[in-house]
Amino acid sequence: MRRITYGQIALACLLLSMATGFVVGYQYEIAAPFISTTAIEATLPFGWFWRSLHFWTSQGFVIMLCLHCFDTWDQVNYIETGNRLKIHWTMISITIPIGILALFSGYVLRFDGTGQAAGAIAEHLLLDVPLIGNGLDKLFMAIGSEGLNRLYVVHILAGVVCWILGTWYHTKTVRITFAAFCLTTVFFLIFCMFTRAPIDLPLNHLHLIHGPWFFLGIQELLRNFNPLVAGIIFPAIPIVTVAALPWLKQKECGYLILLLWTFAYAGVTLVGILRAG
Amino acid sequence: MKRRNLLKNTFLWLLGASLSWPLFAFVQKKRFRPPKERRISRQLKPGQFVVEPEFVLFETQNGPVAISRTCTHLGCKINYLEDKKIFLCPCHQSRFTQQGRYISGPAKKDLGTYKVSTMENDQGFIVYLPA
Repeated sequence: MRRITYGQIALACLLLSMATGFVVGYQYEIAAPFISTTAIEATLPFGWFWRSLHFWTSQGFVIMLCLHCFDTWDQVNYIETGNRLKIHWTMISITIPIGILALFSGYVLRFDGTGQAAGAIAEHLLLDVPLIGNGLDKLFMAIGSEGLNRLYVVHILAGVVCWILGTWYHTKTVRITFAAFCLTTVFFLIFCMFTRAPIDLPLNHLHLIHGPWFFLGIQELLRNFNPLVAGIIFPAIPIVTVAALPWLKQKECGYLILLLWTFAYAGVTLVGILRAG
Repeated sequence: MKRRNLLKNTFLWLLGASLSWPLFAFVQKKRFRPPKERRISRQLKPGQFVVEPEFVLFETQNGPVAISRTCTHLGCKINYLEDKKIFLCPCHQSRFTQQGRYISGPAKKDLGTYKVSTMENDQGFIVYLPA
């Protein structure tokens, strides 16, 4: 039996997330996002189950993708000659921010307290990007002027792009095994029977809203630093570093940047978790 | 590079470039939307207020004032704390006075206001929100 890798579990999670996303999408209403999400959660038969599956498999995808990246990053040392593999590495590293975008947009689409705040912050951060901020906002968010329409498109598109990059482009020869898919599915089926996907009720967080777990560190930094630095430049550091790794002569510099960034982000995330309202 | 590949790549780049302008123009265009009017069919005495998703409407001695609930830092929806008579942003804890003046936190700017008019026969208020 072949070894089950993080990459295979990530792909299984992505497939499950996309499949359950289509199921949830049948009852999701873009014009009334919070009401329809609440209805899915509370009144529709098995709505809580499908929502939970969609939520947790999406979380699983991003977590497994990051673990897969950590698990395999030493392979960059073997990319020495030719640009084809370097370009492949750089392209595939884009999957991480796109996966996080898919996950993040899912939080916003439920449009509860956390979702509304996260959407507003993300839109303002995009608008803070010099020169291309307005264009990026129009492409990816535009919540203020267009509601959730564009973000919904981006949410679906991000999932599809992850799938295309992760399968057709990346794993032409390494396909998911039947065992990996079945084990992942069974795990999430059981887990989601007992664990609901979170949703904030209005006025639940009068004094403090905690953003999504992966956003807590950025939220904390945004209290003290310029939005462009805290919300755009700092989160871009690991993405650019991973993408640039095969092109670096001194790869140790890249590893050091990633290590320092991870510790720094874990530290500010911990401060964010401990912050009381 | 072989001539065939060169031609193929040139064709694909030209095709992509020629489609990028129509795509950009389509996505960038903001559709026209009329300004929104929010009707508050309620009478308020000076000191009383109404909380709406977009604003908090206060009745004051000088007339009604609608203070925006959009934080000037990063756009989070701020809450009005009646006991402390301040606005507080739940995202990054910026604080503002009841009049929307900046007190503390990363926001640095005062809150916005919306135009308000009174309905006929003092039946309530109309708040005009931008499109």
